[in-house]
Amino acid sequence: MLPKINAAFVEKLLTGFIRDELGRCGCRKAVLGLSGGLDSAVCAALAARALGPRSVLGLILPCGPAFPEDVRDAEGLARRLGIRHETIDISPQIEAYFAAHPKASRLRRGNKIARERMAVLYDRSAEEGGFVLGTSNKTELLIGYGTVYGDLACAINPMGDLYKTQVRQLAERLRVPAAIRRKAPTAGLWAGQTDEGEIGLTYDEIDEILYARFEGRMSRGKIIAAGHKPAAVDLVLKRIKASEFKRHLPPIAKLSPRSVGHDILHPYDWGR
Amino acid sequence: MNIALAQIVPKLGDVEANLALHLEVLEKARKNRAGLVVFPELGLTGYTLKDLVEDLALDPAKDPRFRRLAAATKGLAAVVGFVEESPSDRGLFYNAAALVADGRLVHVHRKVYLPTNGMFEEAKFFAPGREFRTVEAPFGRIGLLICRDFLHYGANYVHYAAGADMIVCISAAPGRGIEGGDAFTTSRMWELMGEAMSYFSTAFVVYANRAGSEDGVSFAGGSFIYAPGGQRVARAAYVDPDFVVAPVDLGAVREARRTRLFKRDEKPEAIWRSLERIVRAPED
Repeated sequence: MLPKINAAFVEKLLTGFIRDELGRCGCRKAVLGLSGGLDSAVCAALAARALGPRSVLGLILPCGPAFPEDVRDAEGLARRLGIRHETIDISPQIEAYFAAHPKASRLRRGNKIARERMAVLYDRSAEEGGFVLGTSNKTELLIGYGTVYGDLACAINPMGDLYKTQVRQLAERLRVPAAIRRKAPTAGLWAGQTDEGEIGLTYDEIDEILYARFEGRMSRGKIIAAGHKPAAVDLVLKRIKASEFKRHLPPIAKLSPRSVGHDILHPYDWGR
Repeated sequence: MNIALAQIVPKLGDVEANLALHLEVLEKARKNRAGLVVFPELGLTGYTLKDLVEDLALDPAKDPRFRRLAAATKGLAAVVGFVEESPSDRGLFYNAAALVADGRLVHVHRKVYLPTNGMFEEAKFFAPGREFRTVEAPFGRIGLLICRDFLHYGANYVHYAAGADMIVCISAAPGRGIEGGDAFTTSRMWELMGEAMSYFSTAFVVYANRAGSEDGVSFAGGSFIYAPGGQRVARAAYVDPDFVVAPVDLGAVREARRTRLFKRDEKPEAIWRSLERIVRAPED
């Protein structure tokens, strides 16, 4: 069983992390995408507490009019937190691109949308002199439920070591509105998409399996013996393996005695 | 005597900045009449050094920066963490702790147990120390340990067998586990082992950890002092930087050894013979 987190302690750690990482670069501003969902709401609430609400810019980036209630929830959340926010419809650039690729699959369109959002966030972060905050949680990172160089791209990720069900616990502590906490998680890339529908398992099930695998260091057999369906365990283990590339920088072909990524090894926070 | 726990946040890879921080804390400790100031592991350099290790190494006997630090210990003692490269071991870099007292370098302990698993990669960058030596400080016999050394009970035993009045462990222990109270779950382990060791050793156990974060990893803070027999004398803040000065009565060691007779009845020769047999014939 996934133990309950101490949400107050986690809030303290993560607001400290955001402040420290930005502060090392002499920066006090953050930019993030607000989807109207749980993860970005929690991240925005953490950033507002860490930096002060006016130092946070939330960008709401719908692609056309498909998800009006998510836009409403995101705008409501931004007002409630007191953060600066802006809604930008990215359908003009998406449609202009796909005019030449009318037969593109749903997945290609979805990934393109995620990467367009990333491009807007990075552009606006340059204007702001701020950092792009990532909102991917541990569950998504481990099963690879994210677009490489899309929603996975960020300067820092405060939430990457919290399972989805733990993010929910933190959301309660941060008083994220119930409407956002209760809605079905979705990447919002096409109508009717839900994470759990697309993956084929609930986050509760996925998190229990991941927790058994990583914190419990259990083998496939042991996880099944602990009461999980073999098909569910195999699905999760397969996704972990298939998405390994999303959790790394690309491999560099080693030629010299000392190479970037192999044996030129500097800490990230060097001298800051 | 007063002991100061300097739970600082070093700047990663910047010896000058960290030296200034150490000097500032030593001054503060002096004003608080501390007889001993304990700084964290690799306090002069930061912890997550990787390839920076060799650029930041210094020879404590010769380096002018270390001399400035030593000069600031007139009338008190300090334990300081740094990267050591000595002329007798050129090209080898040690995760080291120096005991400096009254302006003089008394002893350097080189970390013996270098954690190299999971998030830890010390043995990739450091050479291991090869001994534990208990030394005389102005206030009593003291045994130095660095972080993971403390979790190997043989290391504590050597200091105990050598008659240490005080085991001083400097640490850069990252926090892990968020299911507890206002601290990382791992802080509980350190406190339990510190408390237990103060019973086993009938000595003072002084643990100085650091605060702050490096590369996403938060250090757990929670530095502490236990008097012989499990009596907690001080505990610094969890996670946050802190500076704690606590009075200790060194007479408590005599008192503990008079009433709990572990030290009197200890038989290092029996341990030695048994260890010799185990080391020589591991298949026994």
